[in-house]
Amino acid sequence: MFDMSTIFGDYTAIAPLIFLIIGALILPGIHLLGKRCTVTWGVALALVIVSLIVNVLMLTDEYVGETLGIVEYNAYSGAMILLFQIVLFLAVLVSNSSVETTKLHVGAFYSLILAATTGMMFVVESSDLLTIFVGVELTSISSYALVSMKRNDSRAAEAAVKYVIIGGMSTALTIYGISMLYGMAGSTDIQTIADNIAIDGLSIPLAVGLVCMIAGYGFKIAAVPFHMWAPDVYEGAATPVSMFLATGSKKMGLSVFFQIFLVIFIAGTAMSKVAGPEMQYLFAIIAAVTMTVGNVVAIAQTNIKRMLAYSSIAQAGYILIVMAVMTEYAASAGMFHMFTHVFMKGGAFLIVGALICAGVGEKIGDYKGLAKRSPFLAAAMMLFLFSLAGIPPLAGFTSKFFLFSGAIGGPDGVMYEWVWLAFIAILNSAISLYYYARVVKAMYVEKGTTEEKIKIPKPFLAGIVICLVFVIVLGVYPQLLYGFCEAAASALLI
Amino acid sequence: MIPIEFFLLLGGILFIIGAYGALTKSNAILVLMCIELMLNAANINFVAFGAFNGDVMGQAFVVMTISVAAAEVAVGIAILLNAYKVRKTTELDDKQLQTMRW
Repeated sequence: MFDMSTIFGDYTAIAPLIFLIIGALILPGIHLLGKRCTVTWGVALALVIVSLIVNVLMLTDEYVGETLGIVEYNAYSGAMILLFQIVLFLAVLVSNSSVETTKLHVGAFYSLILAATTGMMFVVESSDLLTIFVGVELTSISSYALVSMKRNDSRAAEAAVKYVIIGGMSTALTIYGISMLYGMAGSTDIQTIADNIAIDGLSIPLAVGLVCMIAGYGFKIAAVPFHMWAPDVYEGAATPVSMFLATGSKKMGLSVFFQIFLVIFIAGTAMSKVAGPEMQYLFAIIAAVTMTVGNVVAIAQTNIKRMLAYSSIAQAGYILIVMAVMTEYAASAGMFHMFTHVFMKGGAFLIVGALICAGVGEKIGDYKGLAKRSPFLAAAMMLFLFSLAGIPPLAGFTSKFFLFSGAIGGPDGVMYEWVWLAFIAILNSAISLYYYARVVKAMYVEKGTTEEKIKIPKPFLAGIVICLVFVIVLGVYPQLLYGFCEAAASALLI
Repeated sequence: MIPIEFFLLLGGILFIIGAYGALTKSNAILVLMCIELMLNAANINFVAFGAFNGDVMGQAFVVMTISVAAAEVAVGIAILLNAYKVRKTTELDDKQLQTMRW
């Protein structure tokens, strides 16, 4: 295969990031000189596609290497970078034709969205608490600005205020936790911390630090009880930005959980009783409560973006099962669910965004009679929602199957310890079908006020078709991405 | 030499004051200031641990935290200004800010 290190030399490990960093720096200038939104959009999209191609080549080539001793590219970071690039590609693709994002400062918008993705990629490439912290902050600060960019909109202003204040709180909690962990373990390198804790065991300051970090990063993935910001932010932000946050930003939080806690606790339990069942039960309870609250509150929603936000909270709860089970099989299943979630939730948000462009509202009631007005969009929405609920043969079913079978032991035989968690998760899938089916009923059964045909912009159509293809293909042929996830999980846990 | 527990106690008290303020104050600017207090509590911890462990990483972390906090406050104030233009107040508990619940 083609060797990337001949082009990038010592900087091969950050090759996919380089294009996005360049883009984030020059795009405001390009918008100033080019003066046309389409030019800026074209340059941004080209840079994203080049970065995507470089990463796919490196990933299939199984490249492993590090740059400057602070970031490392391996199968895990490659797979996660691929996920963030898919999210970024979908968000940038539709941004030039969405009525919500074309009225913004276009140069700054693309610059911020590229910077946010750079932060996410930086997080998954690093194995040190300092670089993880800086990467998370780069993403968070860019996202605050992205949410508030929808000017003169009172809902966006309110969402941004809530986001920045709750985000600041979570940063403060995280950094306090990191300081305790650093003091007790004497290092900020995660592997060293894991080794040191395994020798010294768990002390009270260490437990305070770990709980602060779990709470701080719990805000980022909107785990219950730290979830109240998510529906407001996703409702207030422009739909492409909501899609970007729901699929990208949340996956970054989950990957932080994998990189810090999974590594520390799995390394620890192998040698002594660091984590023990207490930490596993803590995560199991967070997972169970998160998915239950997300699904139950979603039933009461009338705004479709809020409903999708609560469903997103529930999906994060499903992925948190990995943190309770703590096996390699479960980690690969969790990563596979992240990939399928990008396509299902991304596709659903894209349809919402496309319909807003076509003048359809955000209420579920506005979707009445959609099947008559646009048979394709209604069918696609139905498939995405059924995939989120986990109906075979769609992608959501396959990934949930892997995830829940990980909870009851997977290929290694039955573990009775977490059967109750899998049971709660399956019960929750059944609850979720109720509110997804309500949207489908509105689209197919109920009569709308008008039967006028809907025309949506071409880029939206392209994005929806891409998501649809992956939702169907990953359902019947999961090996397309599952191979990467397995390699990633074994690279993460060594 | 001052024992390390004193530094940790100072950091802990500062953190709790900040957290209490951030949770109870209704003015958005005051909340941002309380968040700064919480960040500085962590900075005290870092410097103390770094000095006692004889490790530069603690000091390096403080420099990073300060710059991140500055960036966050800059963006935060800009967002508050934007919200002020739309809503004409910086209070967080007025009626207008409660349109989005559940």
